Order: sequence, then structure tokens, then C-alpha cells
Amino acid sequence: MAMAKYGGWAGKVLHVDLATGRTRTEDTVEKYKDFLGGTGIGYKEMWDEVPPGTKPYDPENKVIFAVGPLAGTGAPCNGRTAITTLWPTCWPVPLVATGHMGGQFAAKLKYAGYDALVIRGKADRPVWLSIVDQQVEIHDARRLWGEGIRRTTAAINQIMGPETAVAAIGQAGENRVPMSVMICSVSHSAGGIGSVMGAKNLKAIGVQGTGSVRIAGDKGEWEKLIKYHLSLLGANNQHVVPNSPQPWSEFYEERSRWVGSKGRTWGGAPRPIETGTCDPHNLNRIAYRTNNAAYFMGEIAWQFTVRGNGCTSCPIRCHTILKVPSVSAKYGIPEVAQNTCSGLNMGRAFFKKFPDGPRGMTNVEASMVGMHLADDLGVWCNYSQMQRDFQKLYYEGYIKKKLGEKEFNSYSWDKYEKGDPAFLFEIFPRIAAKEGELGTALGLGTGYLLERWSIPEAAWAKDKELSYWKMGHPKHHSTEEAGQCGLLINLIYNRDAQCHSHSNFTRNGLPLAVQKILAAEIWGFPEAVDAVGAYTPMHPAKAKMAKWSLLRKELHDSLSLCNWMGPWVASPLKERGYRGDDSIESLLYSVATGDKKDRQELDLVAERIFLLHRALTIRDMGTKEMRTRHDTIPEWVFTDKSGKLPFSKGTTRMDRTDVQVAIDMFYDELGWDRATGTPTAGTYRKFGLDQVAADLGKRGLLP
Amino acid sequence: MTAKKMEKWENGIAGNEKESAPQTIAAFVRKAGEEGRLISESEILCEVAGANLLPPASPDAAREAKSLLKQALDENEDLHELTAPNGSLDYYSSEFMTEAFARILSLKRGGPRQLIAEVVRQNSALYPRPVPLDTFTQAPFNYSSGEILNELEQMRADEGYRDIASTTTSSPRVFLYSTLYLEPDHAAMLAEWLDVGQFENP
Repeated sequence: MAMAKYGGWAGKVLHVDLATGRTRTEDTVEKYKDFLGGTGIGYKEMWDEVPPGTKPYDPENKVIFAVGPLAGTGAPCNGRTAITTLWPTCWPVPLVATGHMGGQFAAKLKYAGYDALVIRGKADRPVWLSIVDQQVEIHDARRLWGEGIRRTTAAINQIMGPETAVAAIGQAGENRVPMSVMICSVSHSAGGIGSVMGAKNLKAIGVQGTGSVRIAGDKGEWEKLIKYHLSLLGANNQHVVPNSPQPWSEFYEERSRWVGSKGRTWGGAPRPIETGTCDPHNLNRIAYRTNNAAYFMGEIAWQFTVRGNGCTSCPIRCHTILKVPSVSAKYGIPEVAQNTCSGLNMGRAFFKKFPDGPRGMTNVEASMVGMHLADDLGVWCNYSQMQRDFQKLYYEGYIKKKLGEKEFNSYSWDKYEKGDPAFLFEIFPRIAAKEGELGTALGLGTGYLLERWSIPEAAWAKDKELSYWKMGHPKHHSTEEAGQCGLLINLIYNRDAQCHSHSNFTRNGLPLAVQKILAAEIWGFPEAVDAVGAYTPMHPAKAKMAKWSLLRKELHDSLSLCNWMGPWVASPLKERGYRGDDSIESLLYSVATGDKKDRQELDLVAERIFLLHRALTIRDMGTKEMRTRHDTIPEWVFTDKSGKLPFSKGTTRMDRTDVQVAIDMFYDELGWDRATGTPTAGTYRKFGLDQVAADLGKRGLLP
Repeated sequence: MTAKKMEKWENGIAGNEKESAPQTIAAFVRKAGEEGRLISESEILCEVAGANLLPPASPDAAREAKSLLKQALDENEDLHELTAPNGSLDYYSSEFMTEAFARILSLKRGGPRQLIAEVVRQNSALYPRPVPLDTFTQAPFNYSSGEILNELEQMRADEGYRDIASTTTSSPRVFLYSTLYLEPDHAAMLAEWLDVGQFENP
């Protein structure tokens, strides 16, 4: 029996057919060991089972909730669930993409005995799914349909118990608004999948498990490894220096997410709690380092901070729980909310300015109102692309031109221009309900909105402030972070890249000289990294860094490690020369599963998973001309508003010729054909994807 | 000197207590470090005198005290010496603070002008990046906005600080940088990236 040999994996993949109500399981390790879990299982399932030409809302589309062998263990930062499906905002052709959610879902799924949950078909009426160990049931959800995420979650917790992890969609998902989410554990959002769930009439999933995850290796060794990993942790996004000079620290960076220090207090806690010095050697104070509300909203947020919150087994606590009593009377909303990053910014990012400045009380209120509305209605922002689009559409007159007079006048634009958070009550519900032209258009996502309003994509692609990249999605840590490396990373996916491997490194707060020493050790040459805004011509090490970044992202998404934290190649420890350990993933994997793989061997598995994503994209696009038709670059990358030239100091402007050299080097690193950007048959075979090569060969999609 | 005092001193320099004088000095330095402070040479000399660590009627008490201090440094690898801008000496324990932090405290003794300039120059050279002006209103600097603006005004007229320049972001927020290490366009771009760009790219 394959399962007995390995730890880590729970052992079963659960398949649920909503059309027939039938469920079945299959052995994880037998079928998926070479793909680990998470996105690996997701891509394999999509390749094997979902034919090209399928659309996101077709019953034949699948939604694969998958976790990896490290989920539910004591490994730090293991709380992520990867969700793979055909993406409704991917434009002009929906293609495979992944979302993620944190919280407790991943661990509960493992404790219930499953490494993945594969949903297919469409129920004939609204349903919700309960999973309690081997007991899997489909329930009538007509009472819940039309409710927000909060009430749905509470209702299911009432039925299944308060410890159940509940993931639910709101009205936006029910109404098949492409810009919609599924949220689990109150605030952990899987952006972009809400409407796919809605199209299947699946309102929610509740998971509870009484099992555990077996660690195959020596328990003492595992314990030591966990402590070692903890010792290398920084703050959120693996920032390894504090944000102000601290007695314990040689370096600091004002924009670091390591904001805890003496005198900084969680003022919203029942008794205020000082975060204290947060010396990196004190592993019991990791959770005090990060306060993302204060990071984004400014010092004012400290007084409203109750504490950090987050995923299972993650000490970082990147979600901030806020208690803002004034919003209750002023806006009629709960005074407590929590989220992180784009979730905290959901309401704030709509406004160009606030009456009391960017970091005053109004910005806090806008954040609270935004969380209240979006996290209940289940509206997605697409990494704040919606809000950037909205600002441009309003201030450049598109909205006034496209809406009829009656609809235009139904909005309180004076409130919007003044930066009054009350405006959000007018926009979010309309998006969730597809109400009116504006509500409908915004809910489509950028690509389909541009198409609907006959705005050429080029208008978005030349505006640097919009951060638009391609296919209806924004950049995600691109040239502004890491020059050519950032650009290459943003070519690959069918939505925003969601890769933080490189930006966690470039923003870690260490001086450039130290970063270059680490870069030389990891990618072979110090030339892998440049100072931001002082880029140098392309170098092979930058291609290596881009490849490494992408492979580690896929590895994290397949193991269940958080790519918002890893990889852990830098650390806050001066005694280590600020080195982390590039082998952490392989060490954890090897001890947990008993399948010993070193760093290079595990990276090869990641490359297999990454390659399968490429194959899926090629197959479903029906083209091998990836370099020209998929791996495209927006025009703004090659511009500078002051006219500064590439490679001069003070610009992130790229050089067109140099970028083509970069792409050549990148494809060479990956074993992909330079002319087309398509993996060769040899490359597929190298990674055991012979069947994939054969299939693509039959379709004429090999170089 | 009374016989009792002499006996006490002789016991103090015999056996373990003779070695305790440098260790006592080390403890002074560490205690200051634990409180987040440097301790200056003159403060140590006062502590030495107050703790009766010197032989009574020592012909050159100051020289003797400095000798004990040197001994403390030699025997305790966590103790370090820093020269402040005015030439005076400061001491810290690396058990409680890094050299970088100690240097800030040491520069602070000389007043805001040199501290601001050195911090700005170091950031511009090392990371490289400009420094937000309001950094100097926060710990461990803790200057008022008025003090900082006054110093910047003085710097403009002082040849020794001609390299200290400023740039303002779109939010707006003022950043300082040194033209010795950062070009104006690069400083402006970095300031905007730090102050605005990174928030827009979470």
C-alpha cells in the first residue's frame, strides 16, 4: 500500500460531482506524488480531465482545492490552499489559473483525510458541502443563497461546530460576477473563484477533521528543523530588518514590515499590549513583529489594533484585527474587522485622496467599510486593479460617457471626490448584484470591461500608473522590484503572477552589498540583483533568479508553504551573515514525507509542475507562438515620464533590445524554444511528461 | 586613611576582588546598554570613583581608572569603544546593542546636525536610499520638527554639508539624501518608490 510508505500526505483526493451527488476518492500518492500537491494536483487534474475549449462556468470545468504534504504539520507558514480552475477574468480567452486562500481550511482538509477536493459538475439547486472525515454530504443551500459570507459562515459553524473551517461565496459569486471571491476563516480570500463556485450552485464548503498528519521522519529531527526554520523567519514578506534603528539590529529599512518595537502598542486590545523590542532570537515574539494595518494605514492604526491573526501554524500573523468604535455609529457596520494587504486596502484604494491626508482617520474608516462590504458580498479587487481602473475611468470621463444620465446621477460623486467612505456603500453592492452599467462593467474584470466599453487595451497598456500587464490582469512585483527578473516573472501566468520569491528578497531591507553576496551564493553571480532604479544590462544570473523565483512559487503552492513568506534565503541573523537556507523546503519535505530529496531534486519536481502549467496554457490557447502571443509586455515598461533612458539612474524603464535578450536567456534556462517560447519535446520528456509531449505534438504545438 | 579603610582596600586588591574592578566596569557598561544607553568615559570614571574601585590616595586616579577601563575592554569581548564627534569616548556592550545603533547614540551626543548628515550619508551609500525627514522625529533620534528644519537651514550655508539635499514625493513627504552617493533623479525615484510605490505594490 503506497500510503504507508510516506508521511505528510493525508492519502486521499476527494472527488465530488455536484450534478450526480456522487463522491469518490483516489489515492494521492499513487497518482500525484510526482506533482506533490496544491497546484501540482490542480494542473494535473486540469490536463487530464478538462478539455480545451471548456469555459469557466461550464459544468465540465473543475475547481480543485488542493494542499501539499506540509499542510497541517508544524512547519511554519503552511496554511495555504491552492485553488486551480479556468479563470473567469482571464481575457480574451479563459485559461487555467490559480488562487489561494489561507486560514484553517488547508489543515482541516488534511485532518479530514484529504489532500485535495475536486469539484465537478453543477448542482441543480444551491447546495453546500460538508466534509467531516469520511462523511461527505451535499446539503440544500437555498436558505443560505442570497446571504453574505459572514451569515453563511456563522450558519454552517452553527451546524458543524465552531472549529469547522468554512469557505463561502457571497452574493457576487452567486450572481456570477467574475470579480468575486470565496472567503474562508472570516478574512482569507481566494480571489477570482467566487463566480465559478456560483456557476456550480455551490455556496460553501465546511471541513472538519479528527485526524492528524503523520511525520515520517524522526520526531526529534522534525522538532529541531521547525525551530531552525523559525529562527530564520523575518516579518511578513520575509523582511529581515526592523523599520527603525533598533538596539539589536545592524540595519533597518523604513518600509520594512517588521514594525514592532519598544513603545509600539496594540492599543485596541482589552489591555494594551506593547510589541516590545522583537529581538530576532526570541522565537516567542515573532507574532509581534508584523502589523500590516499600521504598515498600510500609518501610525494611526496602532491604537485600533487588537492583535495579529492568520493561518494555521504561521507565527507571522499578517492579518490585523482592528477595532474602530467610531465606524459603528458613523456607518452602521461592525466595529471589528480583519484582513491583510489588498484586503485592508480594498476600500481605501478607491479614493484619490482623503480630506485628512493619506494616513489619517478617514483612511482607516475607508478600510473598515471596504472590508465590511467586500468580505461579505464577496467582491474581488484583482490586486487593486479594479480600484485603479475605477479612478482612471472616472477622472478621465469614461464613466460619465458610458453611463446613462440617470445612472450617473444616482451616484454621489461629490462624496467620491471628497474621499468619503460612505461612497463605498453605493458601489460595492451594485458590483455584487451586477446592477447598472457601472456595476456590471466593473464586475467583469479589466479585459472584459475594456472590451465592453470599446476601450483599446493599448490605452491601459501604456499607462504606468494603472499597473496593467496583460490578459485583463495587473503586474505583480515586476520591473519596479527587480528589473529584468521581475519582467520575466510577469510573462508567464494567465493572471497576475502572485510570485513573491524575488520581491521578498529585493525588499528584505539588507544593504545592496549584502544582497549581492547572498545573490552570488544562490544564483551564481552578484549581478543577479541591481539597486532599484539603477538597472544594468541583462545577465544570465538574472534569468536564473527569475527561474528560481517561479519554481519556488510553484513549489510553495504545491507543498503548502506560503510564498508571501518564502523562500527563506535571507534571515535576520547577523551571525549567519544574514543568510537563510535555500534548502528549507527540501529539508521539511524530506523529513515530513520520508521521501528524501535535496534542494535540486525538489526544484526539478517544481519545474515539472511549472512545465505542466505552460503545457496547459499552450494547449488551451491552441498556439505554440507563446513568445509573441502570450508572453507580452505592456508599453509602459519601456517608458519614463521624464524621458530618462534605460540603464540610467532613477528610472525603471527597460530597454527593448535588452528585454529580448532577457527572454532568450530565460527560455534557454528553461529548455524552451527561443523563437516560440514553447517547451521542446525533449524538455517535456526530461520531466517525465512524455504523454504531454505526445499530445501537444499531435496538436502541432511543439516547436 | 584609617586602618579599616586600608584593610578594605588591601582586601579589595587581593585575590578575586582585584579582578573584580574591570568586571565591575564591564557591568556598568552592560547596565547602560540594557537601558538603551551608551556610557561615556567620564561617566565610567565617575562610577569607578564612586564604587571605590581605586586604591585610596592613588597618585594619579584618572590614569589608574583608565587603566582599569582598558583592562575591562581587553577582558570582555562584548565591550567596545567608540569615538564621538567631539573626540570623547563612549562605550557599549554588543550584548545589548550593535555598533550601528551605538554609533547613532554616539553621534547624537554631538547634536543633530552631524547625526542627520551621517545617517543620510550612510543610507545613501549603503542601501542605497534617501531618508525620510520625519525619521529624525522618531526614536532613537527624537528631535522636534523645528529642530530638524533649523539644522537643515544651517547645513545649507555650511560647506561641510553641501552634499545633503532633499526631494519631495507626491504624498507629499520630504526625503534627504547625499549627493556624494545618490544622483538627484535616483534619489527622487527611490523616495517615490519607498513612500508611495511600495504601498501600491503590496
